[in-house]
Amino acid sequence: MSTLIVIDQAPYGFWTGREALDMAFSLAAFDQPAAMLFTGAGVNWLRKGQRPDGVGQKSAEKNLSAAPLFGIEALIADEHACQQYGLTESTMLPGVELVSNIRDVLGDHKHVVFAG
Amino acid sequence: MTSNSTLHILNKAPEHPRYQACINALAPSDTLVLIENGVLSAAGNQLHAPCTLYALKADIDARALEAACENLNTIDYDELVQLTATHPKIISW
Repeated sequence: MSTLIVIDQAPYGFWTGREALDMAFSLAAFDQPAAMLFTGAGVNWLRKGQRPDGVGQKSAEKNLSAAPLFGIEALIADEHACQQYGLTESTMLPGVELVSNIRDVLGDHKHVVFAG
Repeated sequence: MTSNSTLHILNKAPEHPRYQACINALAPSDTLVLIENGVLSAAGNQLHAPCTLYALKADIDARALEAACENLNTIDYDELVQLTATHPKIISW
């Protein structure tokens, strides 16, 4: 049973998402199984082609693309939220698993932590 | 713009309660500028504004929303400052 880190807020506007990412990567680095779920405006973390130079921040997309290297078990996205924000397979990072009901995902994990 | 035109600066994603509060407050003579997470409303055709509308280019680029925002008028930081100087009233949502 692994820990699920949930991000439900958009990237760049808040620091809580990055803190959650750090938490997930730290867990994985210490061999604690961890997965991440993106829902609500949080699915915008997964969009390809982010160029945040103009707002003086590092790319959330690049951060997130390191997830497999750290050993994050799965990146999961709420399909409904992806539709709401116009995200399709072709505009999304590769390797993201879409789910239609996040209740199932929440039930699959012993520990669930929401960012912020 | 008319003398009673308000500049609305919206930095909240559509899920935030203040997003809809801002949209509800718009008058046809007003100007709405989407900045930060406000630009996310252009993704998935969620945006319906009854007034002049601009979006900040740097925030669109950061979030990879160029395609979703191609029909929006985009501005840079200098133009945002111009808008704040030419409107008699500003609401930062």
